[in-house]
Amino acid sequence: MSKLERLLNLTAVLLDTQRPLTAEEIRTRVEGYPPPGTAFRRAFERDKDDLRVLGIPLRIEQTPEIDPPIDAYRIPPEEYYLPDPGLDADELAALHLASLAVRLDGLSDEPDRSDDGLKDALWKLGGQADPSPAPVANAVASLPSDPNLLPLFTAITNRHLVRFSYRSPTSPGPGEERTVEPWRLDFQRGRWYLTGYDRLRSGERNYRLERIAEAVDVLRDEPRFERRAPAGAGRRRQGWELGDDAPTMVELLVDESRAAWARQQFGPDVEQRPGPDDGTIFVVAVVNEVAFRSFVLGFLEHAEILDPPAVRQRTIDWLETVAAGGAGFP
Amino acid sequence: MSKVKTTAGDRLRRVLAIVPWIVANPGVEVSEVAARFGLTEKALINDLNVVWMIGLPPYTPDALVEVVFEEGRVWINYADFFSRPLRLSPAQGLALLASTDGLLSVPGTEPDGPLARALAKMSVSLGVEPEEAVDVDLGDVAAETLDQLRSAIETGTEVDIVYYSYGRDEMTERRIAPWRVSADSGAWYVEAWCHRAEGERIFRVDRIEMLTPTDERTKHDPSTGGPSHDGSGSSVFHPGSSDPTVTLVLAPSAAWVVDTYPCDVLDVGTDGSQTVRLVITALPWLERLLVRLGPSARVVADRDDGPAGLNDLGQVGEAAASRILSRYRD
Repeated sequence: MSKLERLLNLTAVLLDTQRPLTAEEIRTRVEGYPPPGTAFRRAFERDKDDLRVLGIPLRIEQTPEIDPPIDAYRIPPEEYYLPDPGLDADELAALHLASLAVRLDGLSDEPDRSDDGLKDALWKLGGQADPSPAPVANAVASLPSDPNLLPLFTAITNRHLVRFSYRSPTSPGPGEERTVEPWRLDFQRGRWYLTGYDRLRSGERNYRLERIAEAVDVLRDEPRFERRAPAGAGRRRQGWELGDDAPTMVELLVDESRAAWARQQFGPDVEQRPGPDDGTIFVVAVVNEVAFRSFVLGFLEHAEILDPPAVRQRTIDWLETVAAGGAGFP
Repeated sequence: MSKVKTTAGDRLRRVLAIVPWIVANPGVEVSEVAARFGLTEKALINDLNVVWMIGLPPYTPDALVEVVFEEGRVWINYADFFSRPLRLSPAQGLALLASTDGLLSVPGTEPDGPLARALAKMSVSLGVEPEEAVDVDLGDVAAETLDQLRSAIETGTEVDIVYYSYGRDEMTERRIAPWRVSADSGAWYVEAWCHRAEGERIFRVDRIEMLTPTDERTKHDPSTGGPSHDGSGSSVFHPGSSDPTVTLVLAPSAAWVVDTYPCDVLDVGTDGSQTVRLVITALPWLERLLVRLGPSARVVADRDDGPAGLNDLGQVGEAAASRILSRYRD
């Protein structure tokens, strides 16, 4: 009797049972366990760990008919089985390609496993129909991980509220507490963001995961939220579009020599019109003025903020500070 | 590939995925199953030999799983509890959605093809709307450029590019032999041999203004090794010992500089300020950095700095800011 056999029998028995089974009942029904005693308990503990490591939903309940109640186990079929997603052969092949081309670093259910768990996921979906080498092997992207990615993803799929401390980019300290309906994890400009509805500010916000101070609190006991209509997903977003405030429309004049690059950054839908000296005036919705100014300064003297006057003036003030020299701190 | 010891847990994971597939595909060839799931036929048969011992109490023949081998084909019957695989874990769901959505963001990927359909089906299976839980954007780049680069890599040919060198703020024409395209930290890069530089270089794909393929087969072999991503995002530039450097004192608010550019941290002050030495790629690069940092950084004199041609770096930021200001005052 191999361990594999015992594990398979254990899984079958726990899936099949109508009511939770105690450890002793399991010992009598599943072949391959030692007689009652320490050896059995140890073997059973290890088997339970093996099942959990695989992500098998092992539920422990208290037996109602015994007093004092003891632990009883079952695997709820509705939580175990993968509903058939109905993938065609070419769709499954596309998933394989994606798993090779784009890797999410460091995200594994088991930190000691060397693969990223996606091989197992693809097995569950039916393996690889055409195991020839992937043609996209020379284009690989790697996404960084974050300890809050998985808890937030779980909260998103289960529609649980989350609470976290959000640090300010400039001042030290633990940051402000936010209570958020999490909608989406965005990877933009090389960083992870959470898009969601901030309950206190009553509006959609983006949060950089790096600035979430500690582990997020998933509020499982609170009522699940209803999804509100979010703003456009899948639209490419720049640093100045992300953040906490309402947007301001800013007019930016860019010299001809740099206009193509600017156009690429703003995307094809940006409002633009011809400006003086063959330049182009772009009208950009800016949420984060500091980020936008930083972007504009990247053009050095080849671009100029025209409007609104307050934003132009703040840029001038900034440049005057820099031109005068002297750091703002001792 | 090193041989990893397969534990009972690993085999259980495999069996729970493979058996449902065979159940759904009765009479499939053993060789096909082995190829699909990436194991030898011997290992597969060993696993299936365990499976036919599995069943429910009382383990009489009528309650056992039936595995039938005939002429290289296999059937599995009476395996109700193995009829469907285990569901995807949350980590697997997230990784799959991130990979698939990420690959879809690459220009040139069919927006309605098998990958998009696979994403839609997996999203439903995981209980989310497509693109509503995870949205990955790998970076901005023209589809055609990426395709042309990939094509050149596959055929081993060289390409002519007009490249905007951001650091030097100038356009250059180059003949390059690309060997790898990858995305990192929100941008796409191509690694290539550059004839103009007579060496290996990494170029940002979104700064290629124009690309002309050629029929020239390259003689440069990427196996000689070249710059590669070390995952830190800062491997695009390899400082040489003779490169010019600048020493800055950064206020705590400018700590992002340390995360963004390769540099040596020479000292950390009690107020959180950091003294760092950065390699300068070219003067405009330093101008941009100092103009953006403003009062949160100052250049300090260091006897190890000061190469030929970049004297008195202390005024670089002020001079650049003045130059930009003159535009606002016209």
